[in-house]
Amino acid sequence: MNQDFDVVLVGSGPAGVSAAFPLLEAGLRVLMVDGGKTPPVPAPSGQFLDLRLRQRDQFDWIVGSDFHALRHDGAISPKFRTPTQAYVFEDYARANRIEAESFIAVGSLARGGLSNAWGCGVAKLSADELSDFPFPHQALDASYEAVALRIGVSGAVQDDLSSELGLDQYAQPPVALDPLQSSLLARYEMHRQASVAAGFRMGRARSAVLTQAKDGRQACDLSGSCMWGCSRRSLYSATEDLLLLQRYANFSYFPGFVVDRVLRDSECMVVQGDDGTGKQSWRARRVLLAAGTIASTRLALMATDNISSVGMQSCPTAAFMVWVPRVWGRSRSPAFGLGQLAYTLYVGDGRHKGYGALFDTTGIPMAEFSKFMPLGKRFGVDVLSSLLSSCAVGNLFLPGRLTKATLSLRNDSLHVTGQYDDEVPNLIADAAKQLRSEFRRLGAWVLPRSFTIGRPGSDIHYAASFPMRHRPEPGQTDPWGEVCGVQGLHIVDGASLSNLPAKPHTLTIMANADRIGRRLAADLVAERA
Amino acid sequence: MKLLITGATGYIGRRLVAAAVKRGYQVVVSGRKRPSDMDIEWVHFDLANPQAVELPDGLDAVLHLAVVTSSSAELEDREVVAGQSLLDATARAGVPVLFVSSQTARSDAPTAYGRNKWKIEQSVLAQSGWVVRPGQVYGGSEAGLFGVLVNVVRRLPILPAFVPAPRVQPVHVDDLVLALLSCLERRPQSGIFQIAEPDPITFTTFLSAIAHGRIRRKRGFVPVPVVLVKAAIAVLGAERSRRIGLDRLLSLFALPSMQTAADLDRLGITPRPLASGMTYSGSARRRWLIEEGRAMLTYILREEPTGELIRRYVRVVESLRTVGALDLPSWALRCPSLLALLEGGASLQDDLREELAWRFNAAVTLAESNPQGARRFLWLGERRQGGLVKALYVCRAIASEVLARVGKLLVIPMIVGLKGKRGERE
Repeated sequence: MNQDFDVVLVGSGPAGVSAAFPLLEAGLRVLMVDGGKTPPVPAPSGQFLDLRLRQRDQFDWIVGSDFHALRHDGAISPKFRTPTQAYVFEDYARANRIEAESFIAVGSLARGGLSNAWGCGVAKLSADELSDFPFPHQALDASYEAVALRIGVSGAVQDDLSSELGLDQYAQPPVALDPLQSSLLARYEMHRQASVAAGFRMGRARSAVLTQAKDGRQACDLSGSCMWGCSRRSLYSATEDLLLLQRYANFSYFPGFVVDRVLRDSECMVVQGDDGTGKQSWRARRVLLAAGTIASTRLALMATDNISSVGMQSCPTAAFMVWVPRVWGRSRSPAFGLGQLAYTLYVGDGRHKGYGALFDTTGIPMAEFSKFMPLGKRFGVDVLSSLLSSCAVGNLFLPGRLTKATLSLRNDSLHVTGQYDDEVPNLIADAAKQLRSEFRRLGAWVLPRSFTIGRPGSDIHYAASFPMRHRPEPGQTDPWGEVCGVQGLHIVDGASLSNLPAKPHTLTIMANADRIGRRLAADLVAERA
Repeated sequence: MKLLITGATGYIGRRLVAAAVKRGYQVVVSGRKRPSDMDIEWVHFDLANPQAVELPDGLDAVLHLAVVTSSSAELEDREVVAGQSLLDATARAGVPVLFVSSQTARSDAPTAYGRNKWKIEQSVLAQSGWVVRPGQVYGGSEAGLFGVLVNVVRRLPILPAFVPAPRVQPVHVDDLVLALLSCLERRPQSGIFQIAEPDPITFTTFLSAIAHGRIRRKRGFVPVPVVLVKAAIAVLGAERSRRIGLDRLLSLFALPSMQTAADLDRLGITPRPLASGMTYSGSARRRWLIEEGRAMLTYILREEPTGELIRRYVRVVESLRTVGALDLPSWALRCPSLLALLEGGASLQDDLREELAWRFNAAVTLAESNPQGARRFLWLGERRQGGLVKALYVCRAIASEVLARVGKLLVIPMIVGLKGKRGERE
């Protein structure tokens, strides 16, 4: 039977683009389809503080001319209120027929997927963290290297997280810390033995942000608009890789094509979908799902006839505010808007490793904080305007297996539910207690009442719904991401990770996609020969 | 429905034509001249030179609004003749007639105007038509008698307050238009329909509503005894007082009060509040929202917000919320610092507590996202920097919060809190 392509890739996010490179290198004909949404409002360009002080129409990117931020007043994260990034999340659940209940189910129809709005944290998983994966941990090394070098990561410095995050050999120098965080780090270095003994390690976050120009992208200049989009393209988004992919003659890209169904038809795979004008289908030897964990899971469940419900992991999360009295009264200064310092700590008597990062507060709208102030709005703004320059926001992730989420197919719609394990409240309380005393050691206070637990799913780290296993059963994938029972259908995004640790997981998704891509490239070339 | 409208270029006529066209009715207008600014079918009809009227075919009703506004007595008589020839034509064609008369219509009215209206009313009723007697028509564009009054109030810093005060029953021009169209749609039994606010107000109140609601200025009033005006008219004589318009005051002094509630009900009309109707848009919703927005934003910013910011607040509420302005107490609108007493809103109705909280949050978001807000929120620009200033700032905020909490406990129970939504009747 004739195929239109060797491989159809569903999704242009970090997983999709990473799988595409090795396939294209091998000369295979690859089609990539995605939701095709692109930013309708440009990211602000220039120094954040200058723009805020001078730009009259800053309202357009902070609130949005259609009052986007206020329309999404109830959304769980400031990310969902950012008009410049609205397109990233728009329509995903509806177009993919996802119905979430008691769980935040997020994904993207954007060109480049969720990486348009991510925190840019990167890390290599340790041998221990990869122990559930059905291959030796070294099998990912080459892929980690290829991906890290391709996308550009930074943060290389010898510190207590060097081995934990493990990317220094491929990384550019770190972005400059703001005065608050550099003062915290200096204090940490003075007390590090006590901290490390207590199970708390701190160091630079490793991030997918450039500190040296690369491929037409500029180095970070601390303009501080990270949350609103990076006009210098210093922050990695999969759209950067898409530009590189489009240089291959054997690459086809069809944006705005939402896949309804993938099925096996005798000797080949068929991808059915809608390009906005009507139904259309493509035939290929292999289909790689990279539509985002939840949408990929739905397509995989629809393609299998022996299972209709699978579990999923997602990291329980919390946020808090740290006050550093010794920098009280400082003026706002240009700063990197995403995680500057990162930390790991052990919770639950050393059974679980948590990960978190610290953020400058300048780029986050104050309305996000004033909601939680037990003061009248006027006085809340008074206090925050004085206080926030000496505060940082911290977040905390716990391992994904501590969330029990279930994805069930009902009449072609995917029903998502999920809750934290019973022990999570205690673990988070434990983490809060430890963080309080660790930050006290660093001369900082976790502000009372600021420690808030996120709702299940609000981490947007979803994984392991079709985990890779040595001997996959229905609802699992083989070591190459091939869905059990559906020959030719592979999952290359978070859905096929075997496990989800607390650390940033995007780079591992990309490395795994690259690893599967390499293997499939070899297989398909051999088949053709 | 196909309608013929006389007096279509007048104060009421223009609003009527617009409303009828908007409803999809086919409208033919008649008058002395083809109206140059309306793209509409026209037939010739001149009140001053009555002749046999040719009605277009297929009419469902004729609305007779035309009046002679000339101050010559002879012309006024022709109004009746002309009206009659129109009525004859409708009788021949079997088309029902709606005649817009006047509150002054009486067989023994003090002016020819009132007596003429009464005569035409009789003919209309004789052929089973409808008569609508509007009260004091106001609102919309400044035309007709309303236009004259607005101009007077605009020009004179001091206005007469007649003693004893004549009473008027206002009706917004659009509410009247609604009543006319409703009459044609509902086709009630022939009769006289009195359309106006059921409770009369003094003419002085009406003028000060124009001053406050339309031209937005304060106006003083000096008492003027009605007998003095009547004496002046007597001295000047009928013809001269008619020429300077004084005789119209006689109509005002002799206005009979109208029982309008039943007629409003029959036509399904709820007249809007006077304060609402006086504004240019015919609704005070906007202005209330502007007042609310200014107060909320001043409260957040600690300084007067820019006009652009207030407009944004108004647009946000109009496009995202189901209720318009909240009925914030006037002391809070005048002195926005006092809004601190309403936050948290223990004294508020449940359904409004959440709404008020939403608006405080929205005000923070809006206030923040412009240079004015950035200076305050991020402590940017020319402001004095430093730990001490910021510490003092925090101390002041906490002291004010304590004060506000004490205030909430002590003051709020004694004063009227948030009453509800404003302009609910719209």
